[in-house]
Amino acid sequence: MNSTMINNIIIDGMTFALPLFIMAIGGIFSEKSGITNLALEGLQGMGAFIGALAATLAAAAGVPDDSTRILAFLFAALGGGIYACLHAVLCIKFKANQVISGVVINILAMALTSFLTKAINRTVFGAASDKFILAVSKRITIPGISRIPVLGAFFTNVYPFEFLIIVVAFLAWFVLYKTTFGLRLRACGDNPGAVDAAGGDVAKLRFAGVVVSGALSGIAGMCFAYSILAKFSGDIYMGYGYLSIAGYIFGNWSLLPTLAACLIFGFARSGGYELVKALGMPSAYSDLVMILPYVLTLFLLIFLSKKNQAPKALGEIYDKSKR
Amino acid sequence: MQTQTTTGDYIVEMVGITKRFPGIIANEDVTIRIRKGEIYALLGENGAGKSTLMSMLFGMYEPDEGEIFIRGKKEKITSPSYAASLNIGMVHQHFKLVSNYTIAQNIILGAEPTKKLLGFIPIVDEAKANREIAEISRQYGLEVDPTAVIEDVNVSTRQRVEILKMLYRNAEILIFDEPTAVLTPQEIDSLLGIIRALRDGGKTIILITHKLEEIRQVADRCAILRRGKLIDVRDVPGMDAREMAALMVGHEVQLTAEKSAAKFGDPVLEVSHLVVENEEHFQTVRDVSFTVHAGEIFSIAGVSGNGQTEIADAVAGRLKAKSGTIRLHGQDITNMSIRQRTLAGISYIPEDRQQVGLILDFTLRDNLGLKDYHKEPFQKSGMLNQPVFEENSEKLIDGYDIRSANRGSTMVRSMSGGNQQKAIIGREIEQDASLCIFVQPTRGLDIGAIENIHRQIIAERDKGKAVLLISLELDEVTELSDTIAVIYSGAFGRIAPAEDYTTSMLGEYMMGVAKDNAKNGGGNE
Repeated sequence: MNSTMINNIIIDGMTFALPLFIMAIGGIFSEKSGITNLALEGLQGMGAFIGALAATLAAAAGVPDDSTRILAFLFAALGGGIYACLHAVLCIKFKANQVISGVVINILAMALTSFLTKAINRTVFGAASDKFILAVSKRITIPGISRIPVLGAFFTNVYPFEFLIIVVAFLAWFVLYKTTFGLRLRACGDNPGAVDAAGGDVAKLRFAGVVVSGALSGIAGMCFAYSILAKFSGDIYMGYGYLSIAGYIFGNWSLLPTLAACLIFGFARSGGYELVKALGMPSAYSDLVMILPYVLTLFLLIFLSKKNQAPKALGEIYDKSKR
Repeated sequence: MQTQTTTGDYIVEMVGITKRFPGIIANEDVTIRIRKGEIYALLGENGAGKSTLMSMLFGMYEPDEGEIFIRGKKEKITSPSYAASLNIGMVHQHFKLVSNYTIAQNIILGAEPTKKLLGFIPIVDEAKANREIAEISRQYGLEVDPTAVIEDVNVSTRQRVEILKMLYRNAEILIFDEPTAVLTPQEIDSLLGIIRALRDGGKTIILITHKLEEIRQVADRCAILRRGKLIDVRDVPGMDAREMAALMVGHEVQLTAEKSAAKFGDPVLEVSHLVVENEEHFQTVRDVSFTVHAGEIFSIAGVSGNGQTEIADAVAGRLKAKSGTIRLHGQDITNMSIRQRTLAGISYIPEDRQQVGLILDFTLRDNLGLKDYHKEPFQKSGMLNQPVFEENSEKLIDGYDIRSANRGSTMVRSMSGGNQQKAIIGREIEQDASLCIFVQPTRGLDIGAIENIHRQIIAERDKGKAVLLISLELDEVTELSDTIAVIYSGAFGRIAPAEDYTTSMLGEYMMGVAKDNAKNGGGNE
């Protein structure tokens, strides 16, 4: 194993792991508030779609690349957040089954974004295409520290969004564990009755949790669109949303262990790629490698999930009138 | 009934309150007036309307008719938070606590003290919370460790947290909803002490309860409700328990079950060195041995969660014994299936009647046949024989006075808890098993239903059945039992004839304070 290989594993691993992590943080916000969120997959797809659409429109209008990217992420967060309202309304207002609602959100996102992509390409750009091609994102190499062996890889060829994610992660921790909002939000996931009795508004808090999960998933989707795909298309639905769910379940719904789980998934994936390359296997084998994170998920599931403790009131519909 | 206008003497006045729910009148023209600084008890059976009345004071419901005055001022209490702003607080029967939060976090939830980080970012000030809570808890003798996590502390501490929650919000009027239901005798004493201290500190206390003894110990005045109506308001000193009970139920009641001396027969159930482990390989039952004879009521007393239900479940076959043997009439049943045990002669009234004892969305008729459906003539070549179910159900409904809207065709979910329990008891007793296991048979039932079930348990004993009774209600244990085993932390502290115990002794064994080697070779360590 040479140093380029290790560097590649780290660089690609981080590129994959960090978006997973931010999506998992979103999931934690939702589930710590007591709303099961299987909708991450659809939320990230919808976010990526809105972000890519904004980027494509902005690029067509001649907005410079850097500003386009910022716009893309803003709109991705907005799109994911607004789309998440659907899940929130179904689960909170209409007391729908949260698992079914999540699955419906995912299926709807796939169908809707694929339809809209084609329709917008035809009507706005006059082209028959099922994707929005994105300008290649720039990558940053920090001079100096990037030269340190191994460790330097963490500062080499970094996408700008990776810094954004780290900032958001800190913010998320702060909000969850230091603020009044966070204290009440997490309480809703354990005993919403306690929050209600203490004068908190369970429905509003949970709504906020779900919307945050949408916004963060949207950002994650946009990251994948820029990094892995360089476009928006149906390929965005690769199951990354489900993988990040696995991430926070292994992470026991807390942030640092979840980061660790996402890193494991990321490095498993990039490590597998490098392995295929090093062994000189035909590229078809790389498809096989893509399943590595999922196989790993299965194994982790066997060993870890027994100890982990989901929020107590997760998936429970809170009905004020029942005492 | 009094109809005078309001005066300044009272802190709470509820005048002419009527509250209707679909199909029932929960409160009908109830007027109570509570003085500042007194302990005012609300006494009544389940369904008498005590909790509904207080829920209106706490803002969970609004009355259909009538007016509420707080400190002489007419108020429309629309929400619990509005009630809190009037300094009214409630300790609910089911604690409303966040299990993975510390005591301090639970107390401040919803009223968090904040400080500014870097001068402008508001964050929760937990250090200040811990300080304030420590101070309040000292002031009223409610010692707690603010940094302990709720799931690690016991029930009585959790209750203290609920009380502290109210005090932290400066509650002046404190409503306690059946506060002693979950406590041991020592904990009850300590709680009653706290309640007195709160009153002496100037708080007004409203105590909802159906336990006469507590009222006699602490209350200044007592309002008695029956079927939604106010029957009387009395000064407590000078009242006797029998009188209170009669007012509450509407007729004379037997406060103690009458039972003749026991005539023990042959051993029916012999358990030796039973060990049960839970999923985490923690021993919930540790090396327990005992014998139940024909004609004996053998009770296991203890604080909830000390392994008593696991013993019942192991005998009934719902849990596997890790080691040890269980014999019924000398036959080893340790590894038998539940069905085999039932046929061998065990009937079982489970603790959780809705989850384990009944199928709520089946009819009463089908529920009454749950233990027999596989036998002929209930089925023939795999086809159910409805007329037999019907006949069985008619017999039990009449025999056990099970009341429901459409007799056998009623969905069990729609029946009251007492009638659900009657259905289970009827079904199980009719099994004519030689061993009856009763787990918490009267939980949540009112005095009338309790009386009835106690009579049936004694009748079973007198028929020569062996009865294994598991109950958290000490009164029940002491009244019914011939032999009492006290369990603590999975092991028996003592097995002895019922008359060898005093209530305080039972309490000490229940808390694991006192301990001696149980006979029959239990707890040898």
